[in-house]
Amino acid sequence: MRLGTLTGSIWRGAFVGVLLALAAAPLAAAQQVVCEKCHGNRDFLMGRRGGGPDSSLYVPAAILADTRHASLRCADCHQGYDAGYPHGAQAKVVPCQTCHEAAGRDWAGSIHATNAVTNGDAPTCTGCHGSHKVYGKDDRRSPTHPLNVAATCGRCHADPGIIGTYFATADKAQARTAVAQFYKTVHGSALTRDGLIVSATCSNCHGAHLVLPADSSASTVNRRHIPATCGACHVGIAEVYDRSAHGVAYARGDTTDSGKSAPVCVDCHSAHEIVRADQPQWFLGVVQECGTCHEHLYETYFDTYHGKVTHLGSTLAATCSDCHTPHDMRPMTDPESSVYPANLVATCARCHPAANANFARYRPHGDHRDRANYPVLYWTWRMMTGLLVVVMVFFALHTLLWLTRLAIDAARGGAAGKGHGEAPAGSETRS
Amino acid sequence: MSPRVLDAADRGARPHLWRFTPLQRTLHALVIVSFLGLVFTGLPLHFAAAPWARGVAGIVGGIESAGFLHRVCAIITFVYFFTHIGSLLLRIARGADTKKLLWGPDSMVPQPKDFRDLFGMFRWFLGLGQRPRFERFSYMEKFDYWAVFWGIAVIGSSGLLLWFPEFFARFLPGWVFNVATIIHGDEALLAMSFIFTIHFFNVHLRPEKFPIDLVIFTGRASAGYMIEEHPLEYERRQQAGTLEGLVAPPVSRAAYLWSLALGFTALSLGVLVIVLVLWAVLH
Repeated sequence: MRLGTLTGSIWRGAFVGVLLALAAAPLAAAQQVVCEKCHGNRDFLMGRRGGGPDSSLYVPAAILADTRHASLRCADCHQGYDAGYPHGAQAKVVPCQTCHEAAGRDWAGSIHATNAVTNGDAPTCTGCHGSHKVYGKDDRRSPTHPLNVAATCGRCHADPGIIGTYFATADKAQARTAVAQFYKTVHGSALTRDGLIVSATCSNCHGAHLVLPADSSASTVNRRHIPATCGACHVGIAEVYDRSAHGVAYARGDTTDSGKSAPVCVDCHSAHEIVRADQPQWFLGVVQECGTCHEHLYETYFDTYHGKVTHLGSTLAATCSDCHTPHDMRPMTDPESSVYPANLVATCARCHPAANANFARYRPHGDHRDRANYPVLYWTWRMMTGLLVVVMVFFALHTLLWLTRLAIDAARGGAAGKGHGEAPAGSETRS
Repeated sequence: MSPRVLDAADRGARPHLWRFTPLQRTLHALVIVSFLGLVFTGLPLHFAAAPWARGVAGIVGGIESAGFLHRVCAIITFVYFFTHIGSLLLRIARGADTKKLLWGPDSMVPQPKDFRDLFGMFRWFLGLGQRPRFERFSYMEKFDYWAVFWGIAVIGSSGLLLWFPEFFARFLPGWVFNVATIIHGDEALLAMSFIFTIHFFNVHLRPEKFPIDLVIFTGRASAGYMIEEHPLEYERRQQAGTLEGLVAPPVSRAAYLWSLALGFTALSLGVLVIVLVLWAVLH
């Protein structure tokens, strides 16, 4: 659908451009020469404005030559400039949305447009696309090329001054680090390190024109739209997620008793801190994420060997997603679940190749405090603790009484408490 | 005062008498090294949530290296365990002293006298009687010995289950690994709690012996020490005229210093373990 819209606007734009060019060709050619007289003459402009040679008024007609607007003439965008010199009040720039209707409409609904009314820093079309040198987003020189987007957005979104001025206090901390964090994510490093233009950049998730804050229900990064937004690229994952316990609960809008809704992509993968799932910091992080809802399973996991070595930094032992799958987690009553009884051997065998039905009777969330469900574990634990307490208490008593006896004897100056330093009565002493 | 006054077994009347064979001393040194190794590589896992857990595991290069070293120390444990059993079987095979091994004053097997001694000690603690006089092994030494036997059987077997779960799952249901995890950790906790407090007190730290008793390293103790700690054995040998055969030369300076170093290192590490356990439990 997105592709359709894009193709449509390209065709419409091209169509309008061709029409304009054909209709106004003879006139335009003449005009072009006129504009060039001043705006193509660097010395003239410097004299008029006192500016440097790069003054924005220096716009030779050739500047459009290899841009998307190569077929346009100055007057296509700059109308009312031929009424006199210097240009009068009637001179105005034709809004971009005259041709780029869809993009213009989207922008008009965006947070950028809302803010453009009140602050001069919010970007209009030219803020991101440039004014004369407008290239297609597949052109490496374009500020909207995938490899340049983060830098383009970062011109404002990594600027502490702009964030300090325009962002809500609660959002400032995250806003300040968002772009820098992005470069460290798997998406960001795929772009900058690997040069992969298929990797997501700002506009893939936030939209290009209809940019809205995440708390706006129409935003592509609103919770309601996250699976669709990420799923636009991660198609295979989205298919699996949609059928998982989380995906089904999400689609139904289910919430937990404490009001938490089913997790969407960013709950586990975060937004600007996305790390590869084979990185060490991932392992503990994802377990903690699951633990925010599955509190009891989180606790009992850390009672097991799997949990303990993971907690201490090992990446070899199973974490939640190793047994429950990363995206296709389902209740153990679902025959398609990785933890459905009939599927357990295969699940265990992913790490323990020789696992059999006996092996799969291990309780990876066994809870020795839960007498009702794990009586054997409970009584083993009670027995072992009892043994420890009995032995230690008995011998602590033995020791304390011994010390007391020696202290009493020493206070009385008696013989019973003497050490080996003193020779026992009746034996020869040579020390 | 003797320059070697630190060693409780070197104080008092001479001569020195042999008490432990080189094999027994070697095995005990292996017990110390492997047990400390097991404790320091296993403790972080048992108390994974403790603030020091990552740090202690980090000493040996992280929890995965700790797991490897834990298994190395387990092998050392099995080696000394079966070497000891083998040496006993060898003695039995030679037939000379089977009966003495299993019963009587030189045996490790608990005797009625041991229970009388235990009660006698409590009577003495309470001022109700004389201090019991011990034979070759007091009931405390026998308890230590059998505790290690029991400990290795329990911790060793549960440890093997957890080391080779896929193999043992051929015969056993998977929940035994849950049970083994609890038994392995809690029994180990008991072992270290006991060794690093009660054993340390009984053998090294009580006022009669403070600060250390090196007899298990040097293998020999003074007659004075024997008269105080094991008077019945001393008198029995005196009457039988076998004391002469046990007379040993004083320990060399080098052996003394090595024994002292090993002894104090083990004592310090043990006390450190108790601190870590208390820290984790109270945290």
